[in-house]
Amino acid sequence: MNNTKSDRAGYWFILPWLLGLIIFTLGPMIFSLILSFSKWDVITGVESIQYVGLDNFKAIFHDPLFYQSLKVTFIFALVSVPLFQIASILIAVLLNMRSRGMKFFRLIYFMPSVIPAVATSMMWVMIFNPEYGILNQALSWFGIQGPAWLQDPNYALGALIVMGLWGIGNTIIIYLSGLQGVPEDLYEAGELDGAGVFRRFFSITLPLITPTVFFNLIMGIIGGFQYFTQAFVMTNGGPLNSTLFYNLYLYNKAFIEFDMGYASALSWILFIIILLFTLLVIRSSSFWVYYQGDDRD
Amino acid sequence: MQATQRKFNPSQWLALLILIAGSAIVLVPLLWTVSTSLKTPAEVFGDSFFPQKWIWSNYSDAVQAIPFFLFLRNTLIILVPTMIGTVFTGALSAYGFARFNFRGKQTLFLILLATMMLPSQVTLIPTFLLFKQVGLTNSFLPLILPAFFGGGAFNIFLIRQFMRGIPRELDESAFVDGANRWQIFSRIMVPLSKAPLIAVSIFTFMGVWNDFQGPLIYLNSNEKYTLALGLSMFKGMYNVEWNMLMAATILIMLPALILFFIAQKYFIEGISISSAVKG
Repeated sequence: MNNTKSDRAGYWFILPWLLGLIIFTLGPMIFSLILSFSKWDVITGVESIQYVGLDNFKAIFHDPLFYQSLKVTFIFALVSVPLFQIASILIAVLLNMRSRGMKFFRLIYFMPSVIPAVATSMMWVMIFNPEYGILNQALSWFGIQGPAWLQDPNYALGALIVMGLWGIGNTIIIYLSGLQGVPEDLYEAGELDGAGVFRRFFSITLPLITPTVFFNLIMGIIGGFQYFTQAFVMTNGGPLNSTLFYNLYLYNKAFIEFDMGYASALSWILFIIILLFTLLVIRSSSFWVYYQGDDRD
Repeated sequence: MQATQRKFNPSQWLALLILIAGSAIVLVPLLWTVSTSLKTPAEVFGDSFFPQKWIWSNYSDAVQAIPFFLFLRNTLIILVPTMIGTVFTGALSAYGFARFNFRGKQTLFLILLATMMLPSQVTLIPTFLLFKQVGLTNSFLPLILPAFFGGGAFNIFLIRQFMRGIPRELDESAFVDGANRWQIFSRIMVPLSKAPLIAVSIFTFMGVWNDFQGPLIYLNSNEKYTLALGLSMFKGMYNVEWNMLMAATILIMLPALILFFIAQKYFIEGISISSAVKG
């Protein structure tokens, strides 16, 4: 088995991936990098690519819409991520109770995460409808006059956050598997020492799942930068660019305005932002990797 | 363990109450969507939760107004080859990484892991331009072809991790019996790796079924649309009422939900694994 000749056969097996790496990853990355320093009207041929140095980046840093899209993306991430974490931890802690019916609840909470984003978006366009949507109808029972949600620049982003809250099943499952890795005897010891439910949560559970919290925080920010379908389908960035997510702005530049150089530059800025946050996760991996070794069930 | 033996104490009742309230928040929008899909157009604008009479014909009207079966066909034309390509080339690559010690393997594997972190936006534009250059835009091929090149780093990683757990004695004894590498792969490794291959198939199904940006970029003409793209494009069209749109929305959700209920285990494990890997 150890002769090098047979081991070289390994190249044949990974060949599809290796070719894919060159054709669909490395090649495009190089081309994209070149494009980000170029000006190119796609309609004319490849010959008309013109090197423009840092012009695209300079233009981006003077582009109010670029800052608007950064603002929208960061507000979304900074509000929704902590909100989703708190809600997810609460539900996960409750679901971690060892009693009957928890499997059933787990199923219900996870359900929205498997629904296609387009379907979820269509559903919520209807729910957010100011006149006949169920949300404002429900609010009116409490005497509250609901806003116009997706049509109101002050509420549109908030509406998308509310919708996101509906689909936190993924995060709940991640916390649940984290919680199931917390040794039972820690709680028993805590109980013997007279620690109440809240004390046990803050002194035992929370410290042990902080790494998961941190991981989800970073993933949430990265997720915010890739947010697309919902914003495209429900608001298309409006009203008044109040939901112009970064990824949507990138799409508009590339595929509506066909400004491929500018859009490529935007994609590299996105890459660098995500890379910075990813490095944060890797640097801190010694904190959270511990849990992943524990198998559940 | 303890709670099953004991009676519920007050704090557990409170917990149960919160869980039920949360479930209601999850379920009510879904039920309301189903109910809307069965209403008359006039009722859609009314304020009753349930329709007076359930109008099932909304569904047959919807699949005609929105060319549902055409879009379904298009989706399947993309889905089936994508699944085959992903599972086949994914398993091949995973086997290569799991069982061979060729030079540069460590580096290549690190690159594989690194590509998982690469945001797709970086390669999106040049890949689009590549397909445009060879005249393949407005065809299904840009959405299918990449699957035949390893089928995604995460999938390779998933299968490779599993294959490493298969005892080496099995392939070594087959090797001694004169089986070649291909036979070991196809007769031993693949049959034994059913679990991760099923998981990968399910993730691929969900990925294609949900994919929106891909079809949006590559498919320009109505008759090429997939279900996800088609549904959104019919929003606000003059001849498509909300009740029909909700009926179509339900129809698109259904296969994903059914698959989820059949194969929950894979979904839940997949989430846990991906959270462990994507660091």
